[in-house]
Amino acid sequence: MQRRDFLRTAATLAGLPWLTGCQQLLGWGLPVDVLRPGMATGHRLRHAATLPPPRSERRVDTVIVGSGVAGLFAGWRLAREGYRDFVLLNGPEPDGNAAAGAFDGWRYPTGAHYLPLPSPESAHVRALLADMGVIEAGHDSLRPTFDERVLVHAPDERLWRDGQWQDGLLPRGLGAADDAQQQRFLLHVKQLQQQHGADGRRVFTVPTALASQDPAWRALDAQSFASWLAAHGYTAPGLLWYLDYCCRDDYGSSLAHTSAWAGLHYFAARGGHAANAEDGAVLTWPDGLNPLLRHMRGRIGSQRQLDGAAWRIRQQGKQVQVDYVDAGGTQRLIARRVIVATPLHVAWHLLPQLAGLGFARAHLPPRAPWLVGNVLLDRFPAEPASQPLAWDNVVYGSRSLGYVVATHQLIRAALPERTVFTTYHAFADAAPATTRQWLAAASADALFEQATADLYAVYGPRLRRHMLAARLTVRAHAMASPQPGFLANPGLAVLRAADGPILFAHADLSGLSLFEEAAWWGDIAAQRVLG
Amino acid sequence: MKACMRDRLLILSVFVVASCGLAYELIAGALASYLLGDSVLQFSSIIGCYLFAMGVGSHLSQYVKDERVLDTFVEIELLVALLGGLSASALFAVFAWSGESFRLTLYALVFLTGAMVGMEIPLVMRLLHQREQRFAELVSRVLTFDYLGALAVSLLFPIVLAPRLGLARSALLFGLSNVAVALWTCRVFRAELLRPTVQYLRSLLVLLVLGGGFIAADELTRWNEKAIYGDDVIHAETTPYQRLVLTRWKGDLRLYINGNLQFSSRDEHRYHEALVHPVMGALPWAQRVLILGGGDGLAAREVLKYPHVQQVTLVDLDPAMTGLFARSAPLVALNGGSLSNPRLQVINDDAARWLEQHGEVFDAIIVDFPDPSSFALGKLYSVPLYRLLSRHLADNGLAVVQSTSPYHAPRSYWSINATLRAAGLATTPYHAYVPSFGEWGFIIAAHRPGYTPPQAYRVPLKFLDREATRQMFFFPPDMRPWQVEPNQLNDQRLVHYFEQDWSQVIR
Repeated sequence: MQRRDFLRTAATLAGLPWLTGCQQLLGWGLPVDVLRPGMATGHRLRHAATLPPPRSERRVDTVIVGSGVAGLFAGWRLAREGYRDFVLLNGPEPDGNAAAGAFDGWRYPTGAHYLPLPSPESAHVRALLADMGVIEAGHDSLRPTFDERVLVHAPDERLWRDGQWQDGLLPRGLGAADDAQQQRFLLHVKQLQQQHGADGRRVFTVPTALASQDPAWRALDAQSFASWLAAHGYTAPGLLWYLDYCCRDDYGSSLAHTSAWAGLHYFAARGGHAANAEDGAVLTWPDGLNPLLRHMRGRIGSQRQLDGAAWRIRQQGKQVQVDYVDAGGTQRLIARRVIVATPLHVAWHLLPQLAGLGFARAHLPPRAPWLVGNVLLDRFPAEPASQPLAWDNVVYGSRSLGYVVATHQLIRAALPERTVFTTYHAFADAAPATTRQWLAAASADALFEQATADLYAVYGPRLRRHMLAARLTVRAHAMASPQPGFLANPGLAVLRAADGPILFAHADLSGLSLFEEAAWWGDIAAQRVLG
Repeated sequence: MKACMRDRLLILSVFVVASCGLAYELIAGALASYLLGDSVLQFSSIIGCYLFAMGVGSHLSQYVKDERVLDTFVEIELLVALLGGLSASALFAVFAWSGESFRLTLYALVFLTGAMVGMEIPLVMRLLHQREQRFAELVSRVLTFDYLGALAVSLLFPIVLAPRLGLARSALLFGLSNVAVALWTCRVFRAELLRPTVQYLRSLLVLLVLGGGFIAADELTRWNEKAIYGDDVIHAETTPYQRLVLTRWKGDLRLYINGNLQFSSRDEHRYHEALVHPVMGALPWAQRVLILGGGDGLAAREVLKYPHVQQVTLVDLDPAMTGLFARSAPLVALNGGSLSNPRLQVINDDAARWLEQHGEVFDAIIVDFPDPSSFALGKLYSVPLYRLLSRHLADNGLAVVQSTSPYHAPRSYWSINATLRAAGLATTPYHAYVPSFGEWGFIIAAHRPGYTPPQAYRVPLKFLDREATRQMFFFPPDMRPWQVEPNQLNDQRLVHYFEQDWSQVIR
């Protein structure tokens, strides 16, 4: 943003106001759609407009509010256990951060796009994958066999540096000191993977709820990842760029704003193995994680999924009222139990009683804004034969997060005639509120320029000739960022423990936005409903 | 013509000259990027070399005597026309005929063209100055048109010329523009030239050469390809999917796809008999046959020899390939018109996608995919694809997979075998000697073990009989199985094996 402002100022000073139109030139003539899922409804909810009285009233045993990973996982678990008396309220943002879209049948993610191999602790995720057939055998063994179509195909990652691609994302060739520190760091986190706390539990696990509570290790949360790295002599620019990239990629925050516990968790918690892939492999689909959600919806059954946005949740005695708005007006559900599976900043407005439970506004986790771009291309851009297009393509030094190729997992005799590149940008450098103001006011062209920065850096303006359409998804409150101190958030502890008529399920309860965490809290809530 | 009008036209020639100058620079840069890769390096070094050479040319222009300025201008135009106009064709030829001197030729050509172009503008300015134009006005007008010409070409070249005409013809077109300027100068300044007739004749000669080149540009490309392929190219076509080149030398027809030999008509019968008959000879009841790849119709020719086969489905991506082999007379003679046989249906689709999207079951499946030389192609030799294949295979049917060479590429060959087994298929490996490929390998796959090779064939064959068949299933000690891993899409070992295997063959 600064660069553009500088250019604009410089151009104005030079008396060349048309130069500021450069951003328009990048996407000139290209149909660019901007999607802002949930924004209009969310902002209406925030301004607390009052609703007409409900037109209908329906009794149901359990209501799940929200259809992201946590809500659908809760529904999937209930359905699998033969529990039938529940409905799920889709909300204004169906599929949440695992949503997807399509250009004429070419599917792409508009949010999360991969799932690491689930570790033995993530038994809940393994159960889902086995139910889908993605785990073909051994879902309770150390090394399950996965459907190869879903294991990311080689080549999986490459890094663009100095006009050339290199294999993998760790920058190489930056000097002996950098190489040595990279090796030392990898060894360090490898040891941490096996580290157990005084209570005998692993220090870093997914889900985080199963991690050791040993205060000696939890103390890592008091400092930032940046200061932890400095204190341990990790200063090499290549390594620090890579770690910062990882934090922005998983948490939407920079090294300085990420808790050291969370930063190490990224590397030390993922202990998944596969019988038919190397460690560190990931699971992915053309449309990101969306097939997991489609599968859960299939198990839940369409008759239990209601369209409409929740407006007010009120506990009255042993019952809970859920008022929601759909195309027909206001409707009311009366349930014995409600699983609030919305992000907490939404729950805050839905549930006026939240403050009474011991959860204060200050307990809302800070949220990082994201911009996801999807660009439909009529052909694959030229790539060097020695470093062919990978699934994940990242630009060294960039503040964006590179791009993923939606057609990578297709098995074809020839390159598909079209493809979709999905770009990711987490706004980790400015205060989220400032970024949100910018996002709300930004033109489609400005968003396009931001979303395609890495694509143009790699392929140059020639790529424009191959672009047929672009769709930009603005996620202004995309994910909770685990800033230093997030583990000790007392408000989250209250919501995690809630076991009354109102239950909570969302990755926000962990303070970090991972599929496994969201699914975990969905699973816990479902287990509580099931008793 | 009035003197002032002439001066104006002289200025206009600056526009043309500047356009051409920049065009040659762009063409050299684009060509070097295409052939050598690393476009940033190629463009920077070529622009640098070119600009430096222009400086040298400008410096040299002072040594042209005043009375020879006009003659020299014409001569320089002609030289630039020749050097620049033929540059792309010449560079292609050098790359095809002797790859090693390519860089040297490239930079020499860029330098010479640059030096010539560098002389043009100073000479025009001197010409105009001699004609008593005001210096300030002169400099301004010449440079304005110089830069305008550069703008015109920098837009025209990437948007119109390079995609429409190609590099060779674009260069020739700009060469022709230089000749046009020379010719026009000869005509208008006839009285002022020292040797007008000589210059005129020279210009016509260069015009002839470049014009001929422009018409014969395709022929030149073909000629260069002949140098690469060694034989007469009788058909060459770039389809959206591949470059098909067909050569003939004394009755030997050869097909190359993207430069790789697909078959030679002298011994293709060995390859295709070995591919088809061990399966078909063992299935005397087979009615429905699927061929994946094999758009040349040669495997289909062998399959159609069996009268009990009622339906052959051939899935090949490229309609240009199946069209060529259905229509071209020598090719139809080779495949016996198999692609027009009423029992055969050609489907132009991606074979892997077709398998995904259709559910038909076949008694025999013949898989003739390209070698696993890239990550994209390696996916065609994977457990998911073989599982998909087995769903299309009748319960007691047989499939055969072209599996690279067990002699030259043993890791690849045995990795394909391991992959088929990992997909739950029972395999029977075999091999045959095909002179143009060397020892080549195939693998038969079935739902259950128990395949036995045919003892005799009921169709006419040139290569296979009982004894030749027996030998195909025998692996001598230097071709014993290797212990290698199956191909997993997550790491695509097969692609690495393939690279490793062939890098040891080609030394």
